[in-house]
Amino acid sequence: MTAQDLKTLWARVARATVSWQFVVPALAAVLAINWMASTSTSTMMTEIMIMALFASSLNLLMSFGHMVSFGHAAYFGLGAYGFTLAVVRGGVPPELALAIGPLAAALGGLVFGALCVRLTQIYFAMLTLACAQITYTVLFQWYDFTGGDTGITGFMIPRFGLSEKGYATAVLAVVTLCLLALWGIVKSPLGLSIRAVGQDRYRAEALGLGARRVQLVAFVIAAFFAGVAGTLYSVLHGAAFPDYAGLGITLDGLIMVVIGGLNSFAGGIWGGIIYELLATFVSKVIHEWELVLGLILLAICLVAPAGFAGVSARLRAMLGGIR
Amino acid sequence: MQPILSARHIRKAYGAFIALKDISFDIPRGERHALIGPNGAGKSTFIACIAGQLPGVEGEMIFKGENILALPPARLAKRGIGRTFQISRAFLHMSVLENMMAAYVIASGKWASLSGRVYAEKIDRAHAMLETVGLAERSRDTVADLSLGDRKRLEFGMALAADPDLLLLDEPTAGMSIKERHFLMEMVAERVDATGKTLIFVEHDIDVVMKIARRVTVMVRGAILAQGSPEDIKANDEVQAVYLGGGH
Repeated sequence: MTAQDLKTLWARVARATVSWQFVVPALAAVLAINWMASTSTSTMMTEIMIMALFASSLNLLMSFGHMVSFGHAAYFGLGAYGFTLAVVRGGVPPELALAIGPLAAALGGLVFGALCVRLTQIYFAMLTLACAQITYTVLFQWYDFTGGDTGITGFMIPRFGLSEKGYATAVLAVVTLCLLALWGIVKSPLGLSIRAVGQDRYRAEALGLGARRVQLVAFVIAAFFAGVAGTLYSVLHGAAFPDYAGLGITLDGLIMVVIGGLNSFAGGIWGGIIYELLATFVSKVIHEWELVLGLILLAICLVAPAGFAGVSARLRAMLGGIR
Repeated sequence: MQPILSARHIRKAYGAFIALKDISFDIPRGERHALIGPNGAGKSTFIACIAGQLPGVEGEMIFKGENILALPPARLAKRGIGRTFQISRAFLHMSVLENMMAAYVIASGKWASLSGRVYAEKIDRAHAMLETVGLAERSRDTVADLSLGDRKRLEFGMALAADPDLLLLDEPTAGMSIKERHFLMEMVAERVDATGKTLIFVEHDIDVVMKIARRVTVMVRGAILAQGSPEDIKANDEVQAVYLGGGH
């Protein structure tokens, strides 16, 4: 296979927004800022990276599988609680429990996904919402096991005792590896199959692809990476709360993907970064920062439906950056 | 000749409306068979029955000795039934090459692979098929940018990727110019004959039918009106009265 063939195959996936010439300096810049900035900035950067991973996992479903999930926070929450409960109730060493969080989320994705992929479009979305609400309610109400609405706190030293900068560096490494894995999946035959079913399930089925099975695999993968994000978040704060699986985080994820850019791999990453920066800085200036967010969403939906990634690609094309 | 497909008492109703009324006939292996008839005759419904797209179909559809009526489309594809749709259903937002690669990757059964080696194994065949269907020059274009005729050719190539025994083409030339129609269907006939496949196609263009089909089934209001060679059909008074307008 020639390099040109590869370029042809992935032209639509990359949307010219993932460029290694950009990614490597960007990673170096993140590291540099982390080590030079204050501890609060490091914590903010950690949250941005975690949410970028969460949004990217949702983006796999939305942009490539064309499955709009209204309940993706369930897997963020299951990751956080999978880790926390393994430590608190299971007596598992926290280092080992790091693997349990994402696996719990993937298991949740398998169970709920098997149910959700039976339907399509708005009914699929409603099922994802229902599954997430069930998860949230169980976490919120089961006081004896999950701590109920007060969550679980004080079970470990936040960040495993690492400094804010140290943990941010560790999270950068994990998130980078996860994003590389997601990128590898999107480019693989599995990713091509996910996109095929997303674009036209009837055509994919007529070619011999079991659409539900492919969607379920995508669902479990997305749940796993959302679980990684949830686990990292739980370690950051040394706590887990039912809100981690709540509608608020699901909406945050959806908004991130739309702002970042649908149908682009980088959309989830950009969305996570932009949303968290807006939430941090705009909220300091305007108390009702959601108003600004609403206006930005309006502008994106009406003027730039491809989001930041699309605008960025257009700008680079105008500047002759795409060859 | 041993039939590759036998329809036995096929009946399909949508509520009170009966779309197919007790349809029975055989399709011999290697035949190019046209289904014709006025709108609402049940041609596309019959194709959808073979392709496993409709629930609640009564009767038996025997394909290579097995009743396939309860099988979903993906399993039918694996058993050797390839198809194109009345309205082109190529993957609109992928490039032409991606479409063809998707067809080959799915046909290979390695759809869940994470290895790029699967692409390396299939890329030559994908290019060769694009060459066959005359789209080699457009491999980098997005399907959304293709003309209707090019999309139909692409879909035909994709349907061939799994090397099916039976090809179902539902109005393959709809919306195409006369020149495009003949070009597409001549290519289809040549390819079908060269690989020993069986072809069932729904077509409204009688010139194309007469040129491509070896046998024709005329359907009217969910029932078979006549069957025979294109010449027989052309000479059939009943067919002329009902379908060909009596002027031929």
